[in-house]
Amino acid sequence: MNRQSRALLSVLLVGGVIAVVSWRSCAPDRNDSAGEIVVSEVATRGGTLTASLRSEPRTFNRLIDANFPTDLFSILTGAKLIRVNRATRAVESGLAERWTTAPDNLTHTLTLREGMTWSDGTPLTSADVLFTFQALYDPKVDSLLAGAMRVNGQPLTVTAPDPRTVVVKFPATYGPGIAILDHVPILPKHTLQRALDTGAFRQALSVTTPPAELVGAGPFLLRSYVPGQRFVFDRNPRYWKKDVTGIQLPYADQVVLEIVPDQNAELVRLQAGQLDMLQQAIRPEDVATLRPLVDQGRVRMIELGVGVDPDLLFFNLNSSHWSKDPRREWILTREFRRAISHAVDREAYANTVYLGAGVPIWGPITPGNKEWFSPNVTRYGYSIDRAKEILAGLGLANRDGDEWLEDKNNAEARFTVLTFRGNSSLERGTAVLRDSLKAVGIAVDVVPLEAGSVVQRMYKSDFESIMFFFAATSLDPAMNPDFWMSAGANHIWNIGQKVPATAWEKEIDDLMRQVTSQVDQAERKRLFDQVQLILAENLPAIHFVAPRLYYAVSNRVGNLEPAINRPQLLWNVEKISVQGQAPR
Amino acid sequence: MIGRYLLRRLGFAVLLVFVVSSASLLLTRLAPGDFTEQASDNPAERERLRRELGLDRPLAFQYFSWLGGIVRFDFGQSWLYSRPVKALIADRALNTAMLATVALLLATAIGVPLGIYSGTARGPGRWLVGAISVLGISVPPLIGSLLLVFIAARTGWFPVGGMTSAGGLDLNWSQWLADLAHHLPVPALALGIPLAASLERLQSQAIAAASREPFVAASRARGLESTQALLRHAWPVSLRPVLGLYGVMIGSLFSGSFVVEVVTSWPGLGRLMFEALRARDLFLVAGCAATGALFLAIGTLIADLLLAWSDPRVRAGDEA
Repeated sequence: MNRQSRALLSVLLVGGVIAVVSWRSCAPDRNDSAGEIVVSEVATRGGTLTASLRSEPRTFNRLIDANFPTDLFSILTGAKLIRVNRATRAVESGLAERWTTAPDNLTHTLTLREGMTWSDGTPLTSADVLFTFQALYDPKVDSLLAGAMRVNGQPLTVTAPDPRTVVVKFPATYGPGIAILDHVPILPKHTLQRALDTGAFRQALSVTTPPAELVGAGPFLLRSYVPGQRFVFDRNPRYWKKDVTGIQLPYADQVVLEIVPDQNAELVRLQAGQLDMLQQAIRPEDVATLRPLVDQGRVRMIELGVGVDPDLLFFNLNSSHWSKDPRREWILTREFRRAISHAVDREAYANTVYLGAGVPIWGPITPGNKEWFSPNVTRYGYSIDRAKEILAGLGLANRDGDEWLEDKNNAEARFTVLTFRGNSSLERGTAVLRDSLKAVGIAVDVVPLEAGSVVQRMYKSDFESIMFFFAATSLDPAMNPDFWMSAGANHIWNIGQKVPATAWEKEIDDLMRQVTSQVDQAERKRLFDQVQLILAENLPAIHFVAPRLYYAVSNRVGNLEPAINRPQLLWNVEKISVQGQAPR
Repeated sequence: MIGRYLLRRLGFAVLLVFVVSSASLLLTRLAPGDFTEQASDNPAERERLRRELGLDRPLAFQYFSWLGGIVRFDFGQSWLYSRPVKALIADRALNTAMLATVALLLATAIGVPLGIYSGTARGPGRWLVGAISVLGISVPPLIGSLLLVFIAARTGWFPVGGMTSAGGLDLNWSQWLADLAHHLPVPALALGIPLAASLERLQSQAIAAASREPFVAASRARGLESTQALLRHAWPVSLRPVLGLYGVMIGSLFSGSFVVEVVTSWPGLGRLMFEALRARDLFLVAGCAATGALFLAIGTLIADLLLAWSDPRVRAGDEA
């Protein structure tokens, strides 16, 4: 994406806002924020919750778009058969009030709640569920969710014996089980059947659809959308969910999403009391800016814990890219990557890049992913001597008296790192990497590019190395096969291999198939621990530090259950309560 | 005579709009990357989008298809917003026009009187005004915007962003207008202050020069008071460079300032262009550029007409 102007603006704004808007500055102190995830028991109805949104949706149709604004729209206005509780990771009831699983672990029978209706009063039945899956698997719709809703490459079979019963049959045993249904918002058959029949389903639920025609079963209904300004959602009076005391949810009367494309402007609006919450984690350097508001009791700083999508460095391990390059003899070796891992002081990295708000990591699964994190992976402790020793073993030595190493062909130990322009943590991270590797004689040329260009070059295998962050779609690795499997479209270091290029990738493929098909959770964890171990041994991607995530929320907001994956604050928007006067 | 003149200017405006919009579309298309890169992380989905949007077609095909649409006043569909470009620009142009009008009035009301004062007065006041104006010109709009946002955030006098309040849906017409007026000061001042400073400097120098002209001395010799001589004879003449600047000011103000609109979250043309460029939304970029060029052409025309109206020598020159 073309963000040159934005990058320039952001650099200026970062400095400007910090300098101008900060009342006083101090380093982020995690003690003040840690453990502040206070889930208020107060649940009063009424009020308006105002949050920010950086970008606007291109469609309201979640089946064809996975971007955050569309997903958020779906969470606010839609409903699913079941929901994975983002905070506890437990599967909880949704449109289906209960379900049973057959002993073969293939057939799941779900019972829908009685008397549910769509927002226009039409009964919500199993026919709507069938319709949704029909649309999802329709080749003409070409749904983005269709891939995620396959097990072993085969679609689920969905039947409806009666209006309240849905039977979902898996083609093979599947580790995540019924949690797979958390991907799918159920759509109203009575308003969309015609679009599906006429081949116009991709154009249905467009952003120009009048709000009155957007029928939903979620907690809120779109009242108005003014492009460039805001979304206003009103409570759905026919929403089916109630709290334990019988009060009909949602608690808030209205949700307003203010469109604020710039993070600095977003921060200022929070400071001025015009926003209740930001949708993105606040940057480490902004913690100090918000500290006075925390002291004044106007804003709560919530530490969600360690982020699950850390920055990573990876080389292009597609050997055809290096076929004519004299550096291929050492740059593709795991020893070279191990030397890099030894050469970087992760504590210093955390201090420089995240101002101390980060933890050293040794693999893609961070401590933030409590269910799947394994601490027992190979760690490459900070040691310049060890790094130099490994590099010498690769035949890299200083042969011409300058500050860089050369190989036996006199090719300099130098490589290029692509990174996202305008991302402050990545820009600082690549600077730390460059300085760290300079100390062992390796030259790093950092090339900041627009995020879209980096991603494009990654998919075209046109890069030497890349440093960026990669957002996993789910915390369960079985739901991210594209990253783990060698044939995957997001197997970033060597995408879409027809057969595994290395023995260790084949081994990971085999283990991941078992992680996916195994239903015993303890066994799945044991198998995935092995995957993490193999990955750490071979280091196709080098991870340094995972940041701690901080979110800022107005003290008007109660009943929050923050989660580590997005949408971190609004995933259970129906339970969020607000008190006091709404921001203006 | 005036008809031919207007026709010539209209032709110039059409040519300007055509060249600017074509160049923006072609340059955006030729730059590395495209809209699909940020639209999806999924390679297959990006390929599908490329086909759907025609990005797999040759550049010439895309350009001439777009030109064909322009002839029918169809500016295409924005990929980013999934809406017709024409409708989007109309909405945003209205928002920018409101902001630009207020900023222009503000700049004129502050800059011109202060310029007359500093160009004709004696004493430290003129130096003080001059110094403040130089400061106003020197401070980039970004810093000015941030400063105003800071003041608004600290004092709570004005909202720091947006055009209306979230509750605007429930307001009646007069309440909505009051709400809009409450949101206008920060962006209008951010835009207006540098322009007021520029106007002040230009007006000051122009009126100082005009007041030294023989016809001003002659009018005073005929018994006119100093102030009257300045206002009735020197000021109209001094307006020539000031009105020349107006053309550029109208053009730049009405095509939107992306810095001010982004910082203050004003949903105008500048922010729309910025977002379109970021997303490589070809037709929206071209539409925004065309609108900006059109405003520039209109601004220049208005300035020329005002000049002809204010300065008899210009009218006489045209007739000659």
